[in-house]
Amino acid sequence: MNAVWSVALITFKEGIKNRVIFGIFIIALLLFAATTTVTTLFMRDIVKVAVDLSLSTVSFAGLLTLLFIGVNLFGKDLDKRTIYMVISRPISRSEYLIGKFIGIVLLALSVVVFLGLLSIVPVIMSKRFYYYTEAKFDWWIYFIAVIYIFIKLAVVSSIITLFASFTSNSFIALVLSLVAYIIGQSTESVRELLVSQVEKIEVSPILSYMVEIAYYVFPNISAFDLKTQAAHGLSINPSYIIWTALYAVFYMTIALAIGTLAFRRREFP
Amino acid sequence: MAVISFDKLTKTYKTGFRKKKTALKDFSLDIREGEVFGFLGPNGAGKSTAIKILLNLIFPTAGKAEILGSDVGEKEIRRSVGYLPENPYFYDYLNPVELLSFAGRASNMDSLKIREKTESLLNTVGLWNERKRAIRSYSKGMVQRVGLALALIHDPKVVILDEPMTGLDPIGRKQVIDLILKLKSEGKTIFFSSHILEDIERICDRIGMLVNGQLRRVIDFKKEKLIKSLEDTFIEEVEKAGGLQQ
Ligand SMILES: Nc1ncnc2c1ncn2[C@@H]1O[C@H](COP(=O)(O)OP(=O)(O)OP(=O)(O)O)[C@@H](O)[C@H]1O
Ligand SMILES: [Mg+2]
Repeated sequence: MNAVWSVALITFKEGIKNRVIFGIFIIALLLFAATTTVTTLFMRDIVKVAVDLSLSTVSFAGLLTLLFIGVNLFGKDLDKRTIYMVISRPISRSEYLIGKFIGIVLLALSVVVFLGLLSIVPVIMSKRFYYYTEAKFDWWIYFIAVIYIFIKLAVVSSIITLFASFTSNSFIALVLSLVAYIIGQSTESVRELLVSQVEKIEVSPILSYMVEIAYYVFPNISAFDLKTQAAHGLSINPSYIIWTALYAVFYMTIALAIGTLAFRRREFP
Repeated sequence: MAVISFDKLTKTYKTGFRKKKTALKDFSLDIREGEVFGFLGPNGAGKSTAIKILLNLIFPTAGKAEILGSDVGEKEIRRSVGYLPENPYFYDYLNPVELLSFAGRASNMDSLKIREKTESLLNTVGLWNERKRAIRSYSKGMVQRVGLALALIHDPKVVILDEPMTGLDPIGRKQVIDLILKLKSEGKTIFFSSHILEDIERICDRIGMLVNGQLRRVIDFKKEKLIKSLEDTFIEEVEKAGGLQQ
């Protein structure tokens, strides 16, 4: 555990001190400011718009952090051989990979906590503009949505870790992770479209088969998106919450298991 | 018992589609306890390849390597091994104190011991006053010094240094020589590669000369006085091996 934890800690430190994170925070602050300004322009649904935009900002900033810092934390280790100072210690390749993953997840956690708390400001501002009607809104659901943004980012981190376990190229890892994210965001709706057959479209069996495979291979990113519930103050089914969390744990376990298997045989010449 | 043993090691790199480069051929060598062993050879001879196999960074194509009687694949053995890579590169945004604290923790040291060792090592390598600065602002020689401190933080029995003198100024080189001699006096075993031949005879108990992946000669300075200078002996060995293969 010492080994894993020491790698996690040094990864987190190296990530949080990266200058890029300031850039990401500034973008997030600008988006929060824009949210506050934009919502005042709407005559109705101000709170909904504010909640939606605030949560999107937190999620977007987290994703930027993972893609531009998380991917690079692996990339530099493998390209520039900083990994030598790690695995020349009593640390196995698997412990390295898991430690790295945990460090990146901690990085995502700190971004979500910081921006999640900050995102309260634009939401409160919008509520003050909208004081004359009872807007349906619940802070509990809002914070559950924020937590699920974090869980989503943890799943994305496991995918980054998986890709890093077989490519040293940061750019390839970045592109693959982004593609996985984009596909993962749409598989559920595409699959539902095909399954429900409301449009009565002719679908070749090969296509529906491929969609089915994609649905299971790529993480179902949209499952973690509770923006709508938070914006409309809809209650969330507790079993949905639990199953989604279990799904995330299951997905991460599989991704890391495959990752460590691939990484155990990697050489660093 | 040999502290380090290379047993008929062969390492072949893939250099392209169906192209291969054999960096080590049937390489065997034993390093004894408490000795300082200089590992010499021209560029591309295979020195770093042999060292990386010792640290389990790459795997041998054939043969095996052991440290203190354990296969190099066993991670626990690396608790007793300190390693300085050639051209080391460390985390840009961290300072040496943070790096050393990572290295100490990874080797299971407690924080008090880490703090003590950090202070004494950073003083030894002359970086104590610069310890708060991130590595990215360091010069090449300063990075090399951080690497030396990292190799020694956990007080390893076996010290493996890949070109420890490269990139250092004359004062730095003298400090490394003094450091190696101090480690030897503490009973450590030191295995290092080098291109800098001056002082080698003074520091080393034995040297090995590697050319084109094969060990050409081992010289024990206690038993053998060199007739020619070390430099001439070195060139002669390379020529005897039929020059450098590319
Ligand atoms: N990753 C690699 N892929 C292919 N060939 C490699 C790789 N690393 C080393 N080689 C080859 O293996 C041989 C030995 O390289 P090695 O780095 O071990 O030499 P060296 O003795 O350390 O040289 P130097 O004194 O220049 O550091 C060289 O011919 C080199 O080209
Ligand atoms: Mg070398």
